[in-house]
Amino acid sequence: MGWAWLILLLATYPWLLGADLATDMLAGAGVIMFISGACIIAPCRRLRPIQAVPFAACVGFLFEARRPIPDGALAITLVAASIFLTANKPLLRNTPRLLRAAIITNTAGCIVWCVAVNLALDPTRGASSASPWAQFILQVGIATIVGAAAFIPISLVQNFAMDRIGIPPAADTP
Amino acid sequence: MEQNRRGAQASYVALTIFIAVWIFMPSTVRRLNREAFTEFQAPALHLVSKSRDLARFWELKSRSSEDMAAAGRDLARVNAALELKLADFEDVRRENKRLRKIDSYTVPADYMSVVARVASRDSSSWWNRIVIRKGRNDGIRPGAPVVFGNSVVGRVTAVHLTTSEVDLVTSPGFRCTAFLEGDEQNRIVLVNGLAGNSLRAPQARISVIPVDYEERVGQVSKVYTTGMGGVFPSHLILGTIDLESQATKPGVSFKEGRLNPVRDLYNLQEVSVLVPLHQNPGEALLDQFQ
Repeated sequence: MGWAWLILLLATYPWLLGADLATDMLAGAGVIMFISGACIIAPCRRLRPIQAVPFAACVGFLFEARRPIPDGALAITLVAASIFLTANKPLLRNTPRLLRAAIITNTAGCIVWCVAVNLALDPTRGASSASPWAQFILQVGIATIVGAAAFIPISLVQNFAMDRIGIPPAADTP
Repeated sequence: MEQNRRGAQASYVALTIFIAVWIFMPSTVRRLNREAFTEFQAPALHLVSKSRDLARFWELKSRSSEDMAAAGRDLARVNAALELKLADFEDVRRENKRLRKIDSYTVPADYMSVVARVASRDSSSWWNRIVIRKGRNDGIRPGAPVVFGNSVVGRVTAVHLTTSEVDLVTSPGFRCTAFLEGDEQNRIVLVNGLAGNSLRAPQARISVIPVDYEERVGQVSKVYTTGMGGVFPSHLILGTIDLESQATKPGVSFKEGRLNPVRDLYNLQEVSVLVPLHQNPGEALLDQFQ
């Protein structure tokens, strides 16, 4: 199934849209609901690297497309994470490990886009936040919590989609 | 397992090569990629936003006739009060007309107004923006001012086929010149968005305020656009000023203040995009380079 990753992306997209809608509702509070990192974990457990990589890249590009984040910063991070995870499948052997991977990847993804945005800021465009570190920690903290909370329902939908497409289940002892 | 590791090593090499190519790739390709992913998401945004409108419509439609009658009664009362106000405004209008005639003031007519629904809002410490449901197909161009009534909401930063991204007044990328209400000499101040803190109301900063400028006691002073620079028409309201209390130091010739937007920018349902009918010098310059 060469196009399995694309079908899986379409199955995952409602979750990404849901996160965008949550961001929309929380716009007054100025926080972003970031789940892209958590979205690539379940597919990395079952897909081959050649399928997991375009999936991760598209998830990253979908997040970047609507935000002033330097092009490719998040997508490349998620691709690197997907290569690492597909090469080290024992790290994704059971649910606690999957959850841990989701939290770490989501947090790392959030750190990368926050840092990329800050590095790309135009120095002439005005004052920076009064407490940039607090903002950074708040955003990363939210990404960690959201990654942990959203991973199980997202992976349920993704696993269902992968079962329907006919992707073989992950081996117990990879 | 060993095969997996070897495969991964090859993938890392491929990724490194891809990153190098990506960095040196012409920006057009990157922009095309971003545009493709934005366009992919646009129908979903439209769908969600229209579903929201439909839900609101059915919610209103499902109200009982008693509720409607009560609402009608309330409206009639409000109408009566408004009619009184309207009479006052009529006087003001006449006075305004007379003054404009005296000053030979011409209302800028070189803008086309495009009303657009807000599809989604997105804010963080680094950006405050909304996505509207009108784009290139509707004649919207980058840089066009976005207003609600006579107050400034922001400026269009990116235009796609059916959606556009708008940087709000409070977004750190936003900058424009302004006049302060109560400043008889009409000295120019600078307004720029402030990278705000999450969980707090977004604000903008007003800088280069002359030291001798004082807020009127007991009144909130408004901040108006100057009309210079060719982006915003003049005399649109940017917000109200909140002067920072700072002791005037010797040698300091300017003060700073905070701009509070007149409207809750995250509760807007509809905005108007003022598209200039004629290409402004900035756009002409961009066209030359493209």
